[in-house]
Amino acid sequence: MTALLAAEWTRLTGTKLWLWGLLAALASGALIGLLALAGPENFTPPMPGLDTAQGIHALLGLLGFTVFVPALLGTIAVSAEYRHRTITTTTLFAPRRWTWLAAKLAIYTGAGLAYGATAAAVAGGALWGVAVLKGITLGLPAVTITALLARIALTMAVYTLLGLAVGALLRNQVTALIAVGAYFYMIETVLMLIPGIKLLYPYLPGGATAALTGFTYLADAIADQTGTSATPLLSAPAGAAVLVCYALVAIAIAVAAPLRRDIT
Amino acid sequence: MNIEVRGLTKAFGPISAVTDLSFEAEAGVVTGFLGPNGAGKTTTMQMMLGLVTPTSGTATFGGHRYADLPHPSAAVGAVLDSAGFHPAHTAYDHLRVYARMGRHGTARVDQVADLTGVSAFAGRLTRTLSTGMRQRLSLATALLGDPQVLLLDEPSNGLDPEGIAWLREFLRELAADGRTILVSSHVLGEIEHTADHVVVIRDGRLVTAGPIAGLYGTATVLVRSPQADLFAAKLVTSEVRVEHPRPDLLRIHGLSTEQVAAAAASHGVTLHEITPEHPTLEQAFLHLTGGSR
Repeated sequence: MTALLAAEWTRLTGTKLWLWGLLAALASGALIGLLALAGPENFTPPMPGLDTAQGIHALLGLLGFTVFVPALLGTIAVSAEYRHRTITTTTLFAPRRWTWLAAKLAIYTGAGLAYGATAAAVAGGALWGVAVLKGITLGLPAVTITALLARIALTMAVYTLLGLAVGALLRNQVTALIAVGAYFYMIETVLMLIPGIKLLYPYLPGGATAALTGFTYLADAIADQTGTSATPLLSAPAGAAVLVCYALVAIAIAVAAPLRRDIT
Repeated sequence: MNIEVRGLTKAFGPISAVTDLSFEAEAGVVTGFLGPNGAGKTTTMQMMLGLVTPTSGTATFGGHRYADLPHPSAAVGAVLDSAGFHPAHTAYDHLRVYARMGRHGTARVDQVADLTGVSAFAGRLTRTLSTGMRQRLSLATALLGDPQVLLLDEPSNGLDPEGIAWLREFLRELAADGRTILVSSHVLGEIEHTADHVVVIRDGRLVTAGPIAGLYGTATVLVRSPQADLFAAKLVTSEVRVEHPRPDLLRIHGLSTEQVAAAAASHGVTLHEITPEHPTLEQAFLHLTGGSR
C-alpha cells in the first residue's frame, strides 16, 4: 500500500493539477477577502455587516459555496485514469483494483484537506486583515471563526472524496464533471423547491454541507420565498458523517461495479 | 516461467471472441501469436492478464493466474495497445509512477529508459510523442520489474523499419536470457525472423501451434528453361508433380535442387535458372487461416 500511495503522490505531483488546485484554493480564499473588503452591508441586497455574527456566518458560508471546486478536482483525478487509459497499466501493476482506488482516496483526502486549509487560511487572514484595516470588531470571537474555517476545510476534503467517488463511478470524465457541476449548480436547488423533498434536505449533500459549515442562507432564503419555515439542519458532526457516507456509498458502488468491468 | 493457456473462452453476448483456446509458451523462446485482425489476439492477452474476465478457461504463468502472482509486475510485463499515458506527464514521470507502484526502485527507471531508447525523449510530455516513441515507452514500462515473461500485442505498430529491426533483436536477446516472450502480430514478416514457435488463431480458435519451421511445408524448385515442355515430360513420376506457370517456367514439387540439376544433365536439357523456393510464411499463413475454412 505504501508503494501505491507513493505512486499516486508521484502521479499527482507529475501534472499541473496540484498547481491549479492551489490557485483555485488561493482564489476562493481571496474572493472572500474581496467581499469582506467591499463589506456585506454594501451588497445588493445588503447583508449583515462583519461586526455581526450573521455577517461572518454569511461570508464564510460563501466560501462553503466553493466546495464544488475540490469536488471537480477529485473527479478529474480519478476519471483521468479512464480518459487517458492509464487504467490498463495501473491495473497490471495493482491487479486487485480496489487497492489503487484506496490509495487514491487516501492521497486525495490529504490533498483535499490541504486545499481546504489553504482556502480557509487565506479567507481567515483576509477577514482579520480587513477588520484591522477598517477598524471593525468582528461579530464572532476568533475561536469561533477559526472553528468555522476548520469546518469548511474539512468539508472541502470530504467533497474531494465525493468528487473522486463520482469519477470512479461514472468513469467518463466529461459525464462525471457535468454530473458534479449540475448537482451543485442546479439539481439540489431545484429539489429544494419541492415541498416534500425539502424535509429530506438535511440529508442531501447540500443540507449536510450547510450543517457542517453552519451556513443556512440558502435554506433560509428558500423558506422566506416559499413562506414556510426552514427545515432544521443536522448537527455539524452528523452533517459530516452524512457526507462521508455519500462518498463511501459511491466508492462501494464503484468497487462493486465499474472496477469489476473488463478493461479493454 | 512458462505460460499455459487452457480452454480460454470469451463471449461478448452472442458473439464469441475466443473459443476454447489452449496453448503453451516456453521459457527461452520467442512465441509468435499470429492471426488476422479481429482473430481474438488482443482479447486473449487481456484475459491472460486479468483485464478481461474469461467466460471460461484459465491462463497461468508458472502455475499462477496473473492476479495471484506474488509480485505481478516483477513476473510478467505487458505491452498493450490499449494502454495510454497521461498527456501532461513526461515519459520519465510515467515511468516513475509505475516504478513506485511496482516497488521496482527509481534507479530502474534510468535503466529501462536506456535499454529501450526512451532516454532520448524522457523529458518530453507524452502527448508530444510519436507512435514509435509511445511503443518504446510502453516497452520500458513493461520492463520495469525485470519480468521473466513478456507479452507484447502488435509491438511493431508505428515503429519505423529501424525500430522494428531493433525490437526484433531486443526480443531475441531477452529470450536468450531465458525469458518467455509471447508476441502477437498480423504481419508475418516481423514474426518470421523473431519467433521460434508460433500459435496461429483465426476467429478465436486455434488453427495450429508448434515450431515455425512446421508452417513452411515442403520446398519446391523453380526452373527456367527453353526446353521446359520436354523437361516436364521427363520429370513427372508418381512422386514428382510439376506446375507449368509460363511456357519457359516450371515449379517442381518433390525434388531437391541437386536432383533437378542431375536430371537436367542426364536428359541434356538446357537450364537458365534453378532456384529453391520456400513458401513464404505469408503463403503458409493464408493457407492455414483462409484455406481451412
